[in-house]
Amino acid sequence: MVTIPRGLCNVFSRLLRQHQVNRVSPLNYASNNMITACLCKRPVLTLSSGIHLGSPHYATAPLITVTDEPDALYKKISVLVKGHDKTVLDSYEYFATLAAKELNITVDKVYEPAKKIDRMTLLKSIHIFKKHRVQYEMRTHYRCIELKHLTGSTADVYLEYIQRNLPEGVAMEVTKTMLEKLPEHIKEPVWSIHSPKDEGKPD
Amino acid sequence: MAAPALFRGFCNLQVLLSWRCGSAWTVAWRRSIQTTASCFKNRAARVRVAKGDKPVTYEQAHPPHFIAHRKGWLSQHTSNLDGEEGAADRTIEDVFIRKFIYGTFHGCLANEAVIKRRANVIVICLVLVQKLPPQKFYFLIGYTETLLSYLYKCPVKMEVQTVDKKIVYKYI
Repeated sequence: MVTIPRGLCNVFSRLLRQHQVNRVSPLNYASNNMITACLCKRPVLTLSSGIHLGSPHYATAPLITVTDEPDALYKKISVLVKGHDKTVLDSYEYFATLAAKELNITVDKVYEPAKKIDRMTLLKSIHIFKKHRVQYEMRTHYRCIELKHLTGSTADVYLEYIQRNLPEGVAMEVTKTMLEKLPEHIKEPVWSIHSPKDEGKPD
Repeated sequence: MAAPALFRGFCNLQVLLSWRCGSAWTVAWRRSIQTTASCFKNRAARVRVAKGDKPVTYEQAHPPHFIAHRKGWLSQHTSNLDGEEGAADRTIEDVFIRKFIYGTFHGCLANEAVIKRRANVIVICLVLVQKLPPQKFYFLIGYTETLLSYLYKCPVKMEVQTVDKKIVYKYI
């Protein structure tokens, strides 16, 4: 369920129409197998009892609710993905930048922080032979996608789409920098309010 | 199994070793916890060379230092990444799932099972040899999915491919 302001209904419906992913396997024995993707499936038809009408009455659950409160504004959203395989991150970066371009989000920069190698040096044999060791390592590759000037609802939609399509073995960290209105009590400098009185001056 | 042989710290479950190769240093039926990190690492995940009559799959033919070069990962999850937790839990789950699959589809596995974790879901990818009729395969797949879903409290899906004979990469 996504809450969006009035102006962005068409963006959301365009995303829904374009990316209809159906992941229903024919051998679906476990009942708790279904991933209910409100974002990426057709609207779920819920059965409500049609006692008064004499027949079952189907109602579609609303996927989009529209509100009038002002939307949150993000100055910068930085999406850091990490994984063991660099080619997987390459293809994921292509997918994320393509999705951002579809939603008209400005991509500030896409860069690759240095990889981190976590190495362990262990003895090769169970008894003696101290000079012969074996090294194991775990490599973590990074990729950072920075997006500029987003609204809250666009950010929600984009991030949800990105996260539902994260490949296995890849982790993501999202940092959001939000713009907020300046609080009332620090809008005016203190000395301009209290200038006719002498209390504000230091001794 | 090449990739999940990495353990952080010094506690290794010897259950894995004793199932895999019941050789001289571990008794197959004893369950113990190994407290040092050292073991015969130059023999790990390698099929020993025979007279030229032993068929070997691509996965078995390559030793573990070829992971990420010529081999992929058999178990894909995020807990081995830098700054992520839960590696030991995932590894134990994987070991159980592999043993379970080995027992349920006895003699039908063409290759090791690939276990992927996407959000909440565990996806087990198998390549099976067509030893049983398809109805029996369907039953076993449904049984595995349901049982593992109830055990791990998360959706477990299987993606199965069948092949008529085991695919041999070379003869060692």
